[in-house]
Amino acid sequence: MIFSELYSAYYNAVAWILKAAIDHPLSRGELREMVAKHAFGESVLNIEPALTEERWQLIRSDGTTPIQHPPTMPLTTLQKRWLKAIYLDPRIRLFTDEDTGLDDVEPLFTKEDYLVFDKYSDGDPYEDEEYIANFRLILDAIRNRYPLEISMANRRGRITHRKMLPETLEYSEKDDKFRLIGASSAYGETVNLGRIMKCKRCSEEVPIRLAQRAPFSKETVEFELTDERNALERVLLHFAHFEKEAERIDEKRYLVRLTYNSEDEAEMVIRILSFGPMIRVIGPQRFVDLIKERLNQQKSCGL
Amino acid sequence: MAYSELIKNFNRVRDYMREFFVYGFKSREEYTKKSARSYDDERRRLESWLGDFMQFRQTPEGKNVFLSVDSRVSRHNPLYKAWKTKSFTDGDITLHFILFDILDDPKTVLTLNEIMERMDEYLTGFQYPKMFDVSTVRKKLNEYVSEGILIAEKKGRTMAYHRSSFQASLDPDALDYFSEVAPCGVIGSYLLDKEELHEGILTFKHHYITGAMDSEVLCALFQAMSEKRQITMETMDKKRNKTSEADVVPLRIFISVQNGRQYLMAYLPRTRRIRSFRTDSILSVHPGEICRSFDEYREILNGMLPHMWGVSTQSFSDQRMEHVEFTVRYRADESYIHRRLEREKRCGTVEKLDVNTSRFSADVYDTSELVPWIRTFLCRITSIHFSNEALEAQFKKDLEDMYALYGLEGGDGT
Repeated sequence: MIFSELYSAYYNAVAWILKAAIDHPLSRGELREMVAKHAFGESVLNIEPALTEERWQLIRSDGTTPIQHPPTMPLTTLQKRWLKAIYLDPRIRLFTDEDTGLDDVEPLFTKEDYLVFDKYSDGDPYEDEEYIANFRLILDAIRNRYPLEISMANRRGRITHRKMLPETLEYSEKDDKFRLIGASSAYGETVNLGRIMKCKRCSEEVPIRLAQRAPFSKETVEFELTDERNALERVLLHFAHFEKEAERIDEKRYLVRLTYNSEDEAEMVIRILSFGPMIRVIGPQRFVDLIKERLNQQKSCGL
Repeated sequence: MAYSELIKNFNRVRDYMREFFVYGFKSREEYTKKSARSYDDERRRLESWLGDFMQFRQTPEGKNVFLSVDSRVSRHNPLYKAWKTKSFTDGDITLHFILFDILDDPKTVLTLNEIMERMDEYLTGFQYPKMFDVSTVRKKLNEYVSEGILIAEKKGRTMAYHRSSFQASLDPDALDYFSEVAPCGVIGSYLLDKEELHEGILTFKHHYITGAMDSEVLCALFQAMSEKRQITMETMDKKRNKTSEADVVPLRIFISVQNGRQYLMAYLPRTRRIRSFRTDSILSVHPGEICRSFDEYREILNGMLPHMWGVSTQSFSDQRMEHVEFTVRYRADESYIHRRLEREKRCGTVEKLDVNTSRFSADVYDTSELVPWIRTFLCRITSIHFSNEALEAQFKKDLEDMYALYGLEGGDGT
């Protein structure tokens, strides 16, 4: 069962509480802190009294516990089956060469059971040994905060070199690609992993001085949505992964505000165009002009 | 019943989460047609679980509650929290930790009576020690055997229990990744909960998180597919606000990473057709008989793939197969447009007519599924043709309507 108390935040929080109580008598303050860390906003109102009133007979009144070993639970069959399924995915090699030891476990799903039908076809080469080595080095550099020297081909096929202090790896399911984001000595702050030809730990002993990467700047677009041909659901689901707000104007019209990273503006324009006349952008004027420019160009194509 | 932060059944909160997350413009009054208390309870629960993402807006119709998540910033799917809220009894949780402490060593193999004796040692230090009867403990042990976390074996003539010994050392970054991108990723999130909290180093773009709410349904469908079983499923028609039951053979899950929807592709014995069902419309899945023709139906579906742009397996015109083609022009320094056609097409062919022009064409069951994608090339489409004439007329009318929306009607646009 996927919805089970075995996986619940309460069981998890209590496991952490008991682990601490085995070590030393637990104070109320410590208990509350652990509940806040491992459960939800209001959980302390339930977990603390349940333990202190001895409804859950696991912590004695002096803060000690009869439990003798730090609580652990073996993996359930469901967890093993899911793990087996992801170990059959070639992308697991980006992270590990280890075997699961789950030879006698049936995977929860295989690639025959599901299809991501609309990802782009030029995804990263996850089975390429060079790509895997680069990926692992980058992961290590992010974890341990050291700079890298990267050689890569730019869009025109020219080889460029840069030093980069990696911050994070970003994965796009639509593009099926990883991008490295970090502070760079030159040429921008994002690198497509698939373009990297060579990547090595920076040879300089003292970490190079890299400018602090500026956070992506945010923009907002506001549009009016007309709910015809199920547009309301289609649009709101399509843009669900953005910070957004929707308001009803009347029976058929809605006002939607989306916040996006400015580097994605061209993509936002075409995504909004894909909904045709169901969406009318009303602001900012700069965005309206981008839409008008495209439509004007389309008119000149004679269609 | 008094309010509780935990819940017994996921389906009701599943609806509210979708409403708050996807839509978020309804006022309390619109939700409370059925029950004001139910709305207040669900809202309070979601606020407790997902407080950082809950927002409010005052409108003339009342206070609107909505969930707003920028999934590029949030490194873990926050909706998984809802799956960690299953209710339980005081006895359940007490028994759980005592049993696993007694059976801490996988080599410890104990009968029910031996376990009962040891349990007393745990409870004596409390003012009013709980009394667990044999049947309750036996039931719990058997429940854990069926979950695979305990193993039951005969000790002489009596059944004895020990913990499953499998331990996996799991890479937290791998768990981070697959818990976000693999189906039923919430299971990976459960595994991550066992680790010390760590700061994830992966982020996600174009990341739809709503599928998390359908994890239970998806899990049941995968289970049925692995056993090649027919199922009876209860579905909800949201427009008609009506539930119905269907007997189908589940064949494959189709996942969209461009609109966040998930579909079940299934064979319907009644109509002898393969069609799609949105997983968020499936309320429950009940396994039925083994389907002897499962492999054959799945093969049929696979054979249809070269003519499916999305999930549609039939047209709305009278043609079995519809044709679409369009031509785009681009400048010499815009050769990426041709590459866009190549990498974004899911079927069909792309031809380079000259250095500035490319043509896409496809024969698919339902060309209307391509319209949103074709519109992303607006500003450079020089010709377009659909064999479905009504659709072509609609496409062109929509374009006229778009010109009108921005005051561009009339003239040649220059």
